[in-house]
Amino acid sequence: MGKLIAIIRREYLERVRTKWFVIATLLGPVMFLALTVLPVLFVSRTKASLGSSNIEIIDATGATLGARVIEAMHDSSGAKPQISIIAPSGIAAAESLATKAVMDESRQGYLILDSTTLSGRKARYTGRNTSTVPDMRRLTDAVEKAVLAMRLEHEGISASRIDSLTKVDIRLEKTQLSSKGREKSGVGSAIVGLLVAFLLYIVLLLYGQTVLRSVIEEKTTRVAEVVISSVRPEILLAGKIIGIGGVAVTQLGVWVASSVWIGMNVAPMLIKRQASAMGAASADSTARSAEIFASMPSFSIGLIVALLLFFVLGYVFYSCLYAAVGSTVNSESEAQQAATPVAMLLIVSAIFIQPVALAPQSTLASVMSMLPFSAPIMMPMRMSLISVPAWEVAVSLFGMTLACVAAIWFSARIYRVGLLMYGKRPTIRELFKWLRYS
Amino acid sequence: MPLTSRPGILNAVMGTSYPPPPKQSQRQDVHFPRPDYTPVVVPLSSISIMSELAIDIRGVTKRYAEHVAVRGLSLQVPRGAVYGLLGPNGAGKTSTIRMILDIIAPDEGSITLFGKRHTDTGVLDRVGYLPEERGLYKKMKVRDVLKFLAELKGVPGAEAETRIATWMERMSLRTPEKDWGDSKVDELSRGMQQKVQFIGTLLHDPDLVILDEPFSGLDPINAQALKDTVVELKARGKTVIFSTHIMENAEKLCDAVCIIANGQKVLDGAVSDVKAAHAGRTVAVAFDGAPNTAVEAVLRNPALVAAMDDQNRFLELELAAGASSGELLQQLITAGASLQRFERVQPSLHSIFLEKVGATGVEAGMSGHG
Repeated sequence: MGKLIAIIRREYLERVRTKWFVIATLLGPVMFLALTVLPVLFVSRTKASLGSSNIEIIDATGATLGARVIEAMHDSSGAKPQISIIAPSGIAAAESLATKAVMDESRQGYLILDSTTLSGRKARYTGRNTSTVPDMRRLTDAVEKAVLAMRLEHEGISASRIDSLTKVDIRLEKTQLSSKGREKSGVGSAIVGLLVAFLLYIVLLLYGQTVLRSVIEEKTTRVAEVVISSVRPEILLAGKIIGIGGVAVTQLGVWVASSVWIGMNVAPMLIKRQASAMGAASADSTARSAEIFASMPSFSIGLIVALLLFFVLGYVFYSCLYAAVGSTVNSESEAQQAATPVAMLLIVSAIFIQPVALAPQSTLASVMSMLPFSAPIMMPMRMSLISVPAWEVAVSLFGMTLACVAAIWFSARIYRVGLLMYGKRPTIRELFKWLRYS
Repeated sequence: MPLTSRPGILNAVMGTSYPPPPKQSQRQDVHFPRPDYTPVVVPLSSISIMSELAIDIRGVTKRYAEHVAVRGLSLQVPRGAVYGLLGPNGAGKTSTIRMILDIIAPDEGSITLFGKRHTDTGVLDRVGYLPEERGLYKKMKVRDVLKFLAELKGVPGAEAETRIATWMERMSLRTPEKDWGDSKVDELSRGMQQKVQFIGTLLHDPDLVILDEPFSGLDPINAQALKDTVVELKARGKTVIFSTHIMENAEKLCDAVCIIANGQKVLDGAVSDVKAAHAGRTVAVAFDGAPNTAVEAVLRNPALVAAMDDQNRFLELELAAGASSGELLQQLITAGASLQRFERVQPSLHSIFLEKVGATGVEAGMSGHG
């Protein structure tokens, strides 16, 4: 037991102390931030670009529509568009002048308001920023509001009344209905589900290969022989897998904890800051990004235990296979080729992450989450997306446990023989012979 | 070639008193430490020690897919002996050693260490092992590697640290100027890495030390240091078994040897016994000038000479069964040989080895694994 602990401690400490580990562990949350918070911020980024008010409004309506548009745009920076009031016949001349101004970059663009605008049909905008959605959205909103206000005024409603009447800000609160009952909007849980799947995939691949490299290192430096003259190879293998697994759990723990912290503290702060920086016009989008965070699925203790269980079983399964591969090769370059079948199992699982995430109720999703090699990735993802029937979880866990037992049995035998074999890589037939050595 | 360089050691096994170890020459550069010990005086009744075996291998066989590495091997190593396992490459030496250490399991037979089965818990903690192919964790600090190796042998951490400190100082891996203990293994020179490996082998103060081809890859200074260490271990009552195919080393160091070829034991016993059994059968002959054809005919007469080993300055002849040295001398003179030397000699282990194993054994055994 003391020897097993010595091996676990060595595997753990030697890895946790490396620069690589520290960097990767610290960079993880930054990646999380980049993967989750930034898209949310991009979605909500409806603030118009700088200088979008630097336009000329050519008002040929004969009414004061242009002034009303400027009022409706209410740029918080205080910049105001220039307004030229002209007769309908002067549009062509004014437009060519404005075009020149845009060309020599003294103006961002120009907006032409005419009788068709007054009748509520169209307005024309020409400028450099026509592909900037928020700018165009803002302009459209302002023109619509101005036209609406003018019509209301024609009906004899006072200006102050108009303001309060047109100020409407509806936020759609979405509730997803599932067999579990009512839940908040699916956007947040979809993000979490994908995150869980990719995190599991990355960690399984990363730490499976760490086990592979560790076995090869001991074999090529010939330390293995000294070690197994003191402990049984099974103990060495177990200690290695547990020690490296501890490293994985440490890293995963730091990642998850800091992600949750970012989700709880930093993200709302960002949203708040964004909200205060923006005018009331973007209140809607701010609320939208806040809603995404609010709809993050609440992780019950049961779900967390289940996720951990799937991770542990998946890790044991893949690290055993990687260890077996590592013991049969003589160098890292040889290992890349030899480990391909194992890596394929993981990659196939990764390929199906998206289809399963999009249709977590489908037969494909059920099957993929019950096959032992893809279950450690698929089942946790489905569990964070929807409520998976208990029997499916049970079948999945049972299958994975069986697969783990088989993987341990298989790799312990291969490992014991392979560790002392140098030279030619064994053929499949030779591997079967190794399995029969007691 | 020196025949019995350390008669005291041989006598110790034979039951006579053991003299203090030979004086060490003081080499400053690489000096294996002499641990504190009082010279062990083996009592006259040391026959009882002979009966107490450090290693007892009985009828062990190990088969691989393509070949049989060890075939029905039995050997006994008395406690406190320096034991040589001799054989050509591929004879089964490494397989035998790995079976003793329970690294591989024999297909047949039994192995006991200090009277207990070698698979019993704690038994292997009393064994120190230096494999033929040496290696350490390259990226680990020297001190951490040693501590790890000690813990694998059941030495508690604090105790291990004390011992490491002592050994590092003795091996001049820690000097006032430089402490190599904090360096990573791959920052050390090859010679220093070998020292670290030796420390790792001996750190848990094993009662049985197993060295597989310990002299391969050593420079003369480290080789001498290793020999000194073996002598010191013996003086402290430890058992040392090492494999080699270099007969000179075995002849100088070993109390007893076992020669194996093709996985089978060819002969074993105390070195002096082995030599005595072959004494009187070997004659060293040297001629003035090249021998004439008549003399050569005599030398090639199978009724007189069983084997001939040309040592350049003289010929070492193995007398055929039934032939006497007098008869040979008479024949040579009759043939007109101009003799410079004709001497009955004790055979070297080397010639015994060649006689017993022969060229066929060396070639047939070339299969890769020792």
